[in-house]
Amino acid sequence: MIITRTWLNNFLDISEVSDDTLYKTLNAIGLEVDSITTHTIPEKIVVGKILSCEKHPDADKLNVCQIETNIGTVRQIVCGAANVVNAEYVAVATIGAKLSEDFEIKHAKLRGVESEGMVCSSSELGLPDIGDGIIILDESIGELVVGKELNDYKKLSDTVIEIELTANRGDCLSVNGVARDLSAALNIPLKKFDYESQNQEKIGLARVAKLTTEGEINASLEYVMASMESLHTSLLFSLRLAFVNELQSDSLANILKYITHTTGVILRAYDVGHIDLNSDEKLLISAKNVNDVVHISLDDKLGAHLGIHQEEELKATEKSTQILFQASYMNPNLLVDVVSEQKLDTDELYYNTSRGSEPNLCFGISYLTYLFENYNNSKLFDGSISISREVEDKIITVSAEEICQIIGNDIPKMEIINILKSLGFSVQMTAEENFGVTIPAYRHDIENIQDITEEVVRIIGIDNIEAKALKFVEKNRTNDSMKKYYAKKELRSRAVAAGFDESMSYAFTDRVLLEKYNFPVVNEELDIINPITADFNTLRTTVIINLLQAANRNVNYSKKSTALFEVGTIFNENREEKDMLSLIYTGQKESENVSNAGKPTNINFESFVKKVSSVIGNFELRTSLQINSIIHPYQSADIIINNQTCGYLTKVHPTVSEDFDLKETFVAEIDFSALVPEHINANPISKFQGVYKDLSFVIDKNTPYSQVCLTTRALQLPLLKKFYAVDVYEDESLGDEKSLSLRLFIQSLDDTLKDEQIDDTVSAIINELERVYGAKLR
Amino acid sequence: METLENQISDANSLVELEKVRIELFGKKGALAKEFSKLKDVPGPEKKAFAEGLNKNKAALQSSFDERYETLKKEEIEKLLKAEAIDVSLYGNLDEKGAYHPVMATMDKIIDYFVALNFSIEDGPKVEDDFHNFEALNLPKNHPARDMQDTFFFKDGAVLRTHTSPVQIRTMLQQKPPIRMIAPGAVFRKDYDITHTPMFHQVEGLVVESKGEVNFANLKAIMSDFLHYMFGDVEVRFRPSFFPFTEPSSEVDISCIFCEGEGCRVCSHTGWLEVLGCGIVDSNVFDAVEYKDVSGYAFGLGVERFAMLLHKVPDLRMLFEGDTRLLEQFR
Repeated sequence: MIITRTWLNNFLDISEVSDDTLYKTLNAIGLEVDSITTHTIPEKIVVGKILSCEKHPDADKLNVCQIETNIGTVRQIVCGAANVVNAEYVAVATIGAKLSEDFEIKHAKLRGVESEGMVCSSSELGLPDIGDGIIILDESIGELVVGKELNDYKKLSDTVIEIELTANRGDCLSVNGVARDLSAALNIPLKKFDYESQNQEKIGLARVAKLTTEGEINASLEYVMASMESLHTSLLFSLRLAFVNELQSDSLANILKYITHTTGVILRAYDVGHIDLNSDEKLLISAKNVNDVVHISLDDKLGAHLGIHQEEELKATEKSTQILFQASYMNPNLLVDVVSEQKLDTDELYYNTSRGSEPNLCFGISYLTYLFENYNNSKLFDGSISISREVEDKIITVSAEEICQIIGNDIPKMEIINILKSLGFSVQMTAEENFGVTIPAYRHDIENIQDITEEVVRIIGIDNIEAKALKFVEKNRTNDSMKKYYAKKELRSRAVAAGFDESMSYAFTDRVLLEKYNFPVVNEELDIINPITADFNTLRTTVIINLLQAANRNVNYSKKSTALFEVGTIFNENREEKDMLSLIYTGQKESENVSNAGKPTNINFESFVKKVSSVIGNFELRTSLQINSIIHPYQSADIIINNQTCGYLTKVHPTVSEDFDLKETFVAEIDFSALVPEHINANPISKFQGVYKDLSFVIDKNTPYSQVCLTTRALQLPLLKKFYAVDVYEDESLGDEKSLSLRLFIQSLDDTLKDEQIDDTVSAIINELERVYGAKLR
Repeated sequence: METLENQISDANSLVELEKVRIELFGKKGALAKEFSKLKDVPGPEKKAFAEGLNKNKAALQSSFDERYETLKKEEIEKLLKAEAIDVSLYGNLDEKGAYHPVMATMDKIIDYFVALNFSIEDGPKVEDDFHNFEALNLPKNHPARDMQDTFFFKDGAVLRTHTSPVQIRTMLQQKPPIRMIAPGAVFRKDYDITHTPMFHQVEGLVVESKGEVNFANLKAIMSDFLHYMFGDVEVRFRPSFFPFTEPSSEVDISCIFCEGEGCRVCSHTGWLEVLGCGIVDSNVFDAVEYKDVSGYAFGLGVERFAMLLHKVPDLRMLFEGDTRLLEQFR
């Protein structure tokens, strides 16, 4: 909603109110000011009167004008605008006027003709564009005095205020509405608009038209009719409409828009040029309820869905000679339901009707009458025809005590009542503490005591409410979400310490990419209907694609290595959510420095596993069973924690790396729920010496260490404290076998180890590995 | 004697000194030789001769010790010098990562509220109409739904447009008194220089018995919170509208870029809008069948906080894993 200072002044005397006060007050009462701009016209631009205008002898498009720029001073000015020919009063930039930093008006010679100044267009004056050519001044901006500085015309150098209205404040979708709200806050009475028709057309409207209804009409309607002579949009209207971005080419549309913007009343105009005033046949206006939509027809021709849209065919334009004007109001709550349920097309006025337009139709009609009779030589037919919906006043019973309780400060009852009255609410006092508040029709948003409290808060100003800390009863509020949050935080902190930057990416991705890399996709029937772009057309089932894309961007920023992690949500085919820790490492394994002569090697399997391990702690790796095509068939592994597969890590398949323009790249994806730390009890610690024993086996090449590990562990040898692989060796001489060396640590809790205890443990392992895998000791 | 002293002081390394030691103090050394003369000295002079010898020996020992200390020191010094490196080459050698500024900001926000005995609550990102809209006093067709461009699914579910549905879930699962925050990702169909289709919010809700929680309380905690986050700023409350609160307020801080003078970031107003809050609308309590309660709620966008706090120039960059930005936070 945009208003201007002088426009506002039509309804509220703000001559004593500074722009700053206006800005602060609007914000304080909940009409948030988005911008406030004062248009200042440069000095030395004056009202000029064109005395004569002749074609330039040497240039078709130029005119040589004699312009009176001050009483008794006539200047010759060459002007290129076509519309100068019909102009009388214009804006003349005289010698020395500075239109911008680097544009000062000087003496000039245009194709041999002297020119002492410039005739300006609206945009050259720093005003919005109101059409081709120069700005033609008229009395709508005030009395035109030759030589007067244009900056002295306050309606030109107006202050434009853009307000961001909240959805509930349809009552402020007009200049009058904003004035009404400001009136309460500034304590300045509203100027009432009153106009009696001069009634130039003697024919009564009732003689030529009649209104019929069919079904319940939940709307107010008022009609007037006028014969049109000629219409034009005055400079003031053009400017103001341009200030509010509503200027159109049709003068009738402009006037209607102007009235609606001024009064808030919704107006439509129908061309009824076809009716014969001398005939006995009356124009039949019918309002019919069709599935709760009010259809307005003129002589059986559909003209509009009331409050929703108007049919183009009957719409009047500036060329229409006979026009039927309709003012209407509908309860916005009813309207939006109907429109949404029946999926009806709406036009630009629906924004106003759906948020609550001005219910006082007389206001709009008399403003219209005033404008047409005074400025457009139009004759209105006598009287109007109307129907009004019958609604009871909305009365809400409140108590001052409860209002104060919601606010938390004591506010005297009389102050509350005065505020409500100033906002147009009427208050019925009772003997008791409670009082009744009648809500004005234009405030359809007020429903209960909290709404009324808000009105009080608005006008008092929240800044004037004293803040008070809440007293509450302490309570243990730790819960699972909190535990999870801290587990995530801990994980993130470890990832950061391990050299990964934290990434945050969209939960969306491209279905095509997921399918290309053989990741699951959300079932078609559960997917997004209205994606924002094709790249984000589905929910992600992995974070890896996002990380690959991020890595790719970093490569483009000349990064030689990128390490990212994200703790983020993914979705499965059934759209169920799960949090994952995902990591990517691409490019150089470490920073370039003197110890690697500036040529670090690229990340490899081992270094990546180490990094992952420093983030998530202990895990086992087993041959990967993943089916996505990101994974490298020979350098990928499932991550096992507590004997459960909870994720995988892999070198990225070279064809995929190529897709993303990456060098050696490794990724890991781990189910966050497996990483939430569990309670740990400590085991007893032995006081006795332990021994290390190394065993080297020759074993089938294809037996992974993880198998050996599982088999050994299954023996549950009590003295075997830990074991790990220390060497793997493959050689042609070994054929299909490899040499695998294990290091055992053997220790007893109860006493010093005896040789036979050590031998028993060692031989148990040797025997079992031979039995299961045919492994031979080297 | 003097020659012996000279032998010690002429030794230029520990190895040479060791040789000298053997020559002087060894079994066949110079001193041993002198002592062997003792047996030939006549009785009455014996004592004086022995005393003289011992004195000389002590003097030589002391010279030797002194020389040894000096040479030892020199030797270590040499060793250390040999190990000299330019340590300044090794600053910041290994990689370290950084928290994402948005996540770090979220952490900072959560810290505040947890310290004030708020619980952390969580909810699904794919929501139903009831929790995301209906229960929050956003009935179908309500114009306020326009404020939130929603992503819809074919089965009628939506991506939550705010974290507020977590309030509803928590109220349905628990009983008052409630003190909770709900941090998390939310989704709106908006994508331009100041909007991303996903962003993060922290939502807060307090519910106590009727009459216990009021607007003045809300004002107190919001002011304190903003001072905790942004330090010494001015805080301004403006009435506003949210369907689920009434009275509602938007809260601004004085612009931290221009300190209220007016600049591009604050659109020359001197103020930055940072959060929304209000007294919970009775319709919301009705939707969860809470009776005789009062409460306040607030919500804020974490990206906005992070951008203001860390002066991040570009919103969309935050979602791109751009290490040119992230590495600055290491």
